[in-house]
Amino acid sequence: MVSLEHYVALSGILFALGVYAVLARRNAILVLMGIELMLNAVSLNFAAFASYLDPERVTGAVFAVFVITVAAAEVGLALAIVIRLFRLRATSNVDEAAELKW
Amino acid sequence: MGAEHAWLLAAIPAGAFVVLALFGRYLARGGDWLGIAAIGTSFALFFVVLADFLGTGSGLGPFAASIDWTRIGDFSFPMGIYVDPITIVMLAVITTVALMVNVFSVGYMKGEPRYWWFFAVLQLFAASMILLVLADNLLLLYISWELVGLCSFLLIGFYWEKRSAVEAAKKAFVTTRIGDVGLLIGIILLWREAGTFNIQEILHLAEEGHFSHTYLLVAMLFIFVGAMGKSAQVPFHVWLPDAMEGPTPVSALIHAATMVVAGVYLVNRMLPAFEVVDETLLVITIVGLVTALLTGFMAFAQTDIKKVLAYSTVGQLGFMFVAAGAGAPEASMFHLMTHAFFKALLFLAAGSVIIGTHHHQDMGELGGLWKKMPITGTTFLVGSLALAGVPPLAGFWSKDEILVVLDKQWGPWAVSLLGFAAVLTAFYTTRLFIRTFLGQPRDAHIAEHTAETPPVMTGPLVFLAVLSIVSGLVVFHEVGTALGFPGGFGEFVFLPTHGPHAYEFDAAFAGGSVVLAVLGIFTASWFYWGGRLDRSTRLAQWQPRLYDMLVNKFYFDELYQAAIDYGVLGFSYVVSWFDRYVVNDTGVDGSAQLTGYTGYILKHLQSGRLPHYAMSLALGVVALAVAGLVMRG
Repeated sequence: MVSLEHYVALSGILFALGVYAVLARRNAILVLMGIELMLNAVSLNFAAFASYLDPERVTGAVFAVFVITVAAAEVGLALAIVIRLFRLRATSNVDEAAELKW
Repeated sequence: MGAEHAWLLAAIPAGAFVVLALFGRYLARGGDWLGIAAIGTSFALFFVVLADFLGTGSGLGPFAASIDWTRIGDFSFPMGIYVDPITIVMLAVITTVALMVNVFSVGYMKGEPRYWWFFAVLQLFAASMILLVLADNLLLLYISWELVGLCSFLLIGFYWEKRSAVEAAKKAFVTTRIGDVGLLIGIILLWREAGTFNIQEILHLAEEGHFSHTYLLVAMLFIFVGAMGKSAQVPFHVWLPDAMEGPTPVSALIHAATMVVAGVYLVNRMLPAFEVVDETLLVITIVGLVTALLTGFMAFAQTDIKKVLAYSTVGQLGFMFVAAGAGAPEASMFHLMTHAFFKALLFLAAGSVIIGTHHHQDMGELGGLWKKMPITGTTFLVGSLALAGVPPLAGFWSKDEILVVLDKQWGPWAVSLLGFAAVLTAFYTTRLFIRTFLGQPRDAHIAEHTAETPPVMTGPLVFLAVLSIVSGLVVFHEVGTALGFPGGFGEFVFLPTHGPHAYEFDAAFAGGSVVLAVLGIFTASWFYWGGRLDRSTRLAQWQPRLYDMLVNKFYFDELYQAAIDYGVLGFSYVVSWFDRYVVNDTGVDGSAQLTGYTGYILKHLQSGRLPHYAMSLALGVVALAVAGLVMRG
């Protein structure tokens, strides 16, 4: 039997992996992937709690669908930025794009 | 038509002012005829009001009427008029003198620039002054009080091309303003406790002991400060002599007969409240005595005719305050009335001298005018004798009344001081007359061109001279009843608590008054007869420092200038330092610099590196989570 704890643990592991990717990676594509992992961890959490706490209604599932939609939009925008960055700098290393400051 | 229409007396000149101010310059003769017609109508209406007032018969109950002026929530604010014998006396003085001055001005102001504006402001003044004495509440009184102050300012500064006129107007405005603030504070204090502005209700409450003693004392002293400022009592007297920069008819109307007596009027109007806190009466008496004595001396060393008359006016106002301080409104108002007539006469005669000699008003240049200007000279003599207190002229009766009531209230010390002031009055008046009209002309060129002024100027002089001779007689019961009054002046104007007071001839006092007047006149004659100056010069040289003190008017102006230089400017310097270094540099600039410096330090947080931001976010979330856990316990 797969219990709620399993889902939550899996979600936590996924989230932690996402955070690690965002913090440790320098390649913009990999950072984006880390963000996707985090978003998916959240979606999983929503779905798990939804089916566990209130199976009759789909409130949590609807949230998961929203998160997926937002994630799709976000990736579309972010990939466009990364492509522009690569065209200008011939790199996708985020450390090399540090001019946007005071 | 009756007393309830007394407000028309003010409304008609007010309407004339509006017309003159807007269209005066396009009217024929600058609209002077309209001004005279307006004030003449007021003058005529006054008699209608008077007849109606006397006709009401029983006890001469005062007439009051009011309308709801404004209503704020539950608080309604009535505005109205109040006519009682004091008002009647004031109206008589204002309308008579204003009419005479308007007529006189046609001659005096002939050919002056802004002729129409002069008449416009005269109408505004007449309207405001009439409103002032009609007002049944302190707020309306205060409004008209400020309006007459404005007119005074406008007319002193009438020749605003002249620097000295501008300075004098400013000085008059600022000095009286100090008093006005006192008046305003007094009014607010009274309103706060009484809940009404109505003068009669306030007086009634005061008599009933509605106010605590100290509270009423403070409030009435503030009211008196306002009266002192307007009536130029020491130490506020400095503005009045300078106000002589204005055209002479203005000096006669505003700065002798009407506006400056507003303070006396106010004190008499509120005398029942002053009597409740009778310490104030002593204050009023002492202020009046000091003023009468000091200005008597100051008038000694002045050589400008108008300046002598100005100091004399301040002194006579002191006499009126002394009478009010003795709790005798009848004596005070009586002197107010007679003084208005003879002092307006003296000023207008001085104006006639100025026109007749083509703008010379210094005694040092004049002399021997009697032969050249017989009507002016004769009327001036009548005015001088009335001022000096020679019987049976008006000034004698009123001054005598004041001495009698003063003796009753305060005893011999006050009488002797005021008697001395009366001697001084007779002295400087005689000196003024002798040096201007008798002896030989001191400047042949001026004398050559001197001529009597036209009838439009001498007419008012003669009229006022007649009043100066006969107006004092209304003190007698028989004269009063013959004119339709219930009796003499003291049986018409009186304090309700004291009751009417019939004039009794007191031979000792009357004789004493005559002796005082004659003493002053003879001393002055001995000094100056025939226009000689050697005796007075020797006196001046005998005590040069004393003489300097008189010439410099006891250094009041210098004292005030020093007070302004060191006090006001010193304080301004401190305030300016505080503003510059504390408010500006520390407060305004300081906070801006602090913000800038903080930003300079904090901007380094924005590194532009994505991992830094991501790490901050992550750490922030962790910190929030930890904080949440800790808070929940």
